[in-house]
Amino acid sequence: MTLKVGIPRALLYYYYLPLWRTFFEALGLEVVISRPTTKTILEAGLQNSGDDVCLPVRLAFGHVLDLKDRVDVLFLPRLVSIARREYICPKFLGFPDMVRHGISGLPPLIDPNFNLYRKDSPYPFFVALGRNFTGNRLAIYLAYRRAMHAQARYVQLLEKGLFPEQALAVLYRGVAEGQEPGGGGPAVAVIGHPYNIYDPYISMNLLSRLARSGVRVRSADNLPETLVREQAARLPKHLFWSLGQRMIGAAWHYLQSPDVDGIIHVASFACGPDSLTGELISREVRRRGKPFLNLTLDEHSAEAGVVTRLEAFLDMMERRQFLPAGESV
Amino acid sequence: MKGYLGIDVGSVSTNLVFMDENGEIREAIYLRTRGQPIFVLQEGLRQLAERLPGNIVISGVGTTGSGRYLAGIIAGADVVKNEITSHAVAASTLVPGVQTILEIGGQDSKIIILRNGVVTDFAMNTVCAAGTGSFLDQQAARLNIPIEEFGKLALKSTVPVRIAGRCAVFAESDMIHKQQMGYSLPDILAGLCEALVRNYLNNVGKGKEILPPVVFQGGVAANAGMRRAFEQALGLEVHVPPHYNVMGAVGAALLAREKMAGGGTSRFRGFGVAKTRFKAGGFECEGCPNLCEVVEITREGEVIARWGDRCGRWSNSLGYKENAV
Repeated sequence: MTLKVGIPRALLYYYYLPLWRTFFEALGLEVVISRPTTKTILEAGLQNSGDDVCLPVRLAFGHVLDLKDRVDVLFLPRLVSIARREYICPKFLGFPDMVRHGISGLPPLIDPNFNLYRKDSPYPFFVALGRNFTGNRLAIYLAYRRAMHAQARYVQLLEKGLFPEQALAVLYRGVAEGQEPGGGGPAVAVIGHPYNIYDPYISMNLLSRLARSGVRVRSADNLPETLVREQAARLPKHLFWSLGQRMIGAAWHYLQSPDVDGIIHVASFACGPDSLTGELISREVRRRGKPFLNLTLDEHSAEAGVVTRLEAFLDMMERRQFLPAGESV
Repeated sequence: MKGYLGIDVGSVSTNLVFMDENGEIREAIYLRTRGQPIFVLQEGLRQLAERLPGNIVISGVGTTGSGRYLAGIIAGADVVKNEITSHAVAASTLVPGVQTILEIGGQDSKIIILRNGVVTDFAMNTVCAAGTGSFLDQQAARLNIPIEEFGKLALKSTVPVRIAGRCAVFAESDMIHKQQMGYSLPDILAGLCEALVRNYLNNVGKGKEILPPVVFQGGVAANAGMRRAFEQALGLEVHVPPHYNVMGAVGAALLAREKMAGGGTSRFRGFGVAKTRFKAGGFECEGCPNLCEVVEITREGEVIARWGDRCGRWSNSLGYKENAV
């Protein structure tokens, strides 16, 4: 019987799924991804996580619970650093331990360290990971190569303008890439952590609401890494949070880009780094005077607040004549 | 006489205005919502019909506020707009050249920045309701003073007491402490106004360029103590416009006029809706694990609107076109 490996649809799922999934499948394992976020998943996460962690981590608990009884092992990489001389939020580092001590009756956890702070290659990580399943080093190497290739292809699709779910559908379900929807609507850059903006439940369908209103949506992940880093390098000091760096670099790029008419920054309540990056972004936005909206997401489910702010933001753009005349929201 | 109806159904108050074709506000009604938006809206329509002459023709209806979709269904709205746009449109029409709008309502507070008559930036309070009208209401009730007297009393203060404004819960315990120490009531009330203004400017007004003319509107603008605290904190004159407490409704009426300028007949259901039996009910959909709480509005037993479902299974089944984003 094939071993089932569970991957939660949370946290850096939207960055790294092809890397993990292709690696496991190349080793002959079956990958099970938790179901898309629902109220039940979120509630389970809220009840089983500590009350002092941020919403995305609490949600990730819900996704672990969704997988708990359906898989043989759970894959929760201990993410320490995803780029040289940079860190990511310490809650990612502590996540496997929080899960191990917070949830009982779990299948075995596989949580090797993913740490690129002093090295460039993630290969040692994959060797350690693969050894849990096979002693065949050649098989691990080949699986690693395929995983890196799939990840590169995924990044390429994102840079073409696709969003993660669309790109994953192209990679794993053979869906055609499709044409980017054209149209003369305004373009808005949505800047936020991938686990906030791409999760339709958490973001209250932010991206599809915008699309339905005729807005062309862009995100940080549609930009090449080099471009984002170039922009972020304008900060007086190296920003050592990788995710914050992406957000700031992308926001600054889109601010200068004449094809982008407005910026929405999405932060999650109780996120430490967001409070900093949000402020840095909004200061630069004010200097440049593009329409800007700061949306804070939390566990309250009322959509009214988000809808009111979005409507007002689109009205503001329309009344500033970014929307074509006569198009109502 | 022809004119436009503006309706603002907020968490604390429900306001209706009748505006004639020249933009003159002929009637304004301010009612407490008391958690019964449908009943209070019907009551407001009934009162408005009584006050207006018999030959009235409603050429357009606009609704706004957190209950704008509900009000839009009940009254038959031609335009349903969010409260930020409505407040901005009202202020820039009544106070030409306005550059900053401070608005404090029952459960939210907002700042709107305009340049050349166009909104360029805005912010609303996030997860914290400290510094909104509800808190002032609650404290006035605790101190046993009518909310109408609050501002007058605060103006009598000579040395406002420093009150912690970060959080309503802490502000309250701070006030109790100051009372026990023997500070005078006016000084405590003035201190509370200053604390709320500080909280507002730090949270809602953070990073905004506040330029004159500054307009202060929303129910809390009735409080002269709050107005003085704003003037002192900003070092600017703060105008409280006429109709300050129904500005959302004024904006909705103006937006209705703008919408109907192109012609067409209003969807207004008539003042008779005050007598129609509307009922708001709800149920939990069990179609998927989201367990959405679906709201259902019925008129004389017939379902006329549903919302609250994430997937559209219920709202779409009526052919009800979603006009929200």
